[in-house]
Amino acid sequence: MTELTRRGLGRAALAGALTASAFPAIAQDSNPIRIGYSMSLSGGLAANGRSALLAQRIWAEDVNARGGLLGRPVQLVTYDDQSNPANVPSLYTKLIDVDKVDIVTSPYATAMIAPSMPVVMQRGMTYVSLFGAGVNERLKYNRYFSMNVTGDDIKGTYARGFLECTKMLPNPPRTISILAVDNDFAQRAAESVRTLAREYGLRIVYDRSYPPSTVDFTPTVRAIQAARPDVVFFASYPPDSNGILRAVSELRMTAALFGGGMIGPQIAAVQAQLGPILNNLVNWDVYSPEPTMKFPGVDAFQEKYRARAPQEQTDVLGNYLQPYAYAQMQVVEQALARTGKVDQAALAEDMRANSFGTIVGDIRFSALGEWAKERNLFVQFQNITDGDLEKYRKPGTKVILYPPELKSGSLKTPYGAPA
Amino acid sequence: MSATTLPAPAMPTARLHLSYWLGAGALAVALILLLRLIGNEYGWYAGYFVLQYVVLAAAWNILGGYAGYVNFGAAGFMATGSYTTIVLYEALGLGVIPGILGAAVVAGLLGLGTGYLTLRLRGVYFSIATLSLSVVLQTIVVNWDYVGGSRGAYIIRPMEVPPFASYGEYIFVVMLVLAVIAVGIGRTVEFSRLGRGLQAIRDNERAAEAVGVPTLRLKLIATTLSGALMGVAGAPLPFYAGYLNPEGAFNLAYAVNAIAMPLIGGAGTWLGPVIGAVLLATLQQAATVTISSALNLWIVGWMLVIFVALFPRGILGWFRRR
Repeated sequence: MTELTRRGLGRAALAGALTASAFPAIAQDSNPIRIGYSMSLSGGLAANGRSALLAQRIWAEDVNARGGLLGRPVQLVTYDDQSNPANVPSLYTKLIDVDKVDIVTSPYATAMIAPSMPVVMQRGMTYVSLFGAGVNERLKYNRYFSMNVTGDDIKGTYARGFLECTKMLPNPPRTISILAVDNDFAQRAAESVRTLAREYGLRIVYDRSYPPSTVDFTPTVRAIQAARPDVVFFASYPPDSNGILRAVSELRMTAALFGGGMIGPQIAAVQAQLGPILNNLVNWDVYSPEPTMKFPGVDAFQEKYRARAPQEQTDVLGNYLQPYAYAQMQVVEQALARTGKVDQAALAEDMRANSFGTIVGDIRFSALGEWAKERNLFVQFQNITDGDLEKYRKPGTKVILYPPELKSGSLKTPYGAPA
Repeated sequence: MSATTLPAPAMPTARLHLSYWLGAGALAVALILLLRLIGNEYGWYAGYFVLQYVVLAAAWNILGGYAGYVNFGAAGFMATGSYTTIVLYEALGLGVIPGILGAAVVAGLLGLGTGYLTLRLRGVYFSIATLSLSVVLQTIVVNWDYVGGSRGAYIIRPMEVPPFASYGEYIFVVMLVLAVIAVGIGRTVEFSRLGRGLQAIRDNERAAEAVGVPTLRLKLIATTLSGALMGVAGAPLPFYAGYLNPEGAFNLAYAVNAIAMPLIGGAGTWLGPVIGAVLLATLQQAATVTISSALNLWIVGWMLVIFVALFPRGILGWFRRR
């Protein structure tokens, strides 16, 4: 057992040496600032993980082109966590103890971020996460910072934007249906709409969850149709979102306000597949290329991203988490620039005290490390006639209805079967 | 023929058992000292990863290797152990050691229940039943809010456990002790009447029954023991990761590895699962941090195909044939 374990470690060291010799550009810099993290490059979270990694690589290239950070080049040290939470603790110990990275940032999504937390907390590392929901609620780690729009109080705020859209309807709706997949984010979303529905005078006429393995949504959609809700709220994950929307289309279901927290329609491949089925869907989102969201630097980032996405075989538009992955690194960059040293306590102190100008806007963190002011977008897909993705690069396709300060268009109603 | 007329073990057991426990203990101490000398935390975490599979493979081998009852539900048993730990933590604030004991009891009882299935289900039907059991357990966990449901459960583990230098070292040592015990139990089973009875069941259950092997009783013992050890393998996982969700707990990799490791090492022998687990888990861990972890299950799959085709009795079987 001893010999084999030693051999395993030796093999890792040998491969590391081979990698360094294969990429002399990495090896030649004697003292780079090393930023380490794991990312889901295979498994269920890979689609978003791969595109996030591309965005972060673009950030590193941009920084290095400007002369690096604190006069040192930036080097990303990344591993694939295979979308498996059990792999994360060992990868983070390797990053910190063997690779001796200066900074660690998080993997993508709550299920991967959470298992990295004990390791990160034990070493007192300052930690900026990507698209985690409520990770720090119980841990209350004072060096945790979250790059996610949902803020501290998901239950009290997540669905508010969707329900605010009911005020834009010509006739006040009276009933709502809720369908959510059994996973963390969707259940939080469903809990939020459940909590807030009464405040908007909506009676819940259907409220169910479904297991992630569900493939046929026809019976479920028929049941929702039978309840005749005015407002339909789904909280789903890909590929369920596709299944639900296809069933809705086939059964020609309509509703005054239709959508919710569906993960999937934000992704280019899904937009191409569903085409006009998305018309008038009101859905949670984080970014839309509307004039109200033209933050400094986002266009330049997307131009670089879109030029490389096809060859990297990842999301071709970069309209979802990609700008946030870039912004996650910008937070690290700005904190390092202000503190002038790699000091975990000083970095955390800086992140708590200051706001950050990023390509997704100005960000300030709360005491729990979430965004101090949540910014859940609710967008409506409009004017879609086919699966051509070109229109998603321009304004007018994902119109922002909420929040009011970013609103870029008016609600179209009802959602109905496409012609 | 009664159980007492089963052939006596060929080897002098007491001395051999003592030499195993002493040897394994010495090896364990040497491993701890070596990792302390290397002096980085990654050794503990990577070691834990490998050792959890040693326990899991040794547990699977008791039923699958000796008795020939292939259990596809290893992930379900392991998750039972993990979630028992979470329940004990949430309800009573108990740590990893009571969690392991609780997991052994709960997963053992689940194994006992599975044993009764063997009254009616054999061969592939038993395997399908164990796979279904895993699906049923996952559905229960997903809908059970007390253990976090689909959101997963957080465990706030202590930063340090004196006299250990770090929690990583502590959890590694715990898993190392469990691995030594699990392999020791597997070895004891192999050289006992129980093991010989199970081998008779594997070769021909009806013939074994006809000559007086108490098949049901032996199968119940084997399923209970195997289930308990699989639960034990999963029990420290929430403390290792600090978080567990159903997708992680019921991960396909556990079920695949639990079968692949004993088969590659040599099923039906106590050492085979150890060799298979150390080889495959080290290879997977090395692939994760070097080439590409997308290759992980690909590596396991290919090794399984190669070994089943060329060395059906595993590495040990191949060496013994030579």
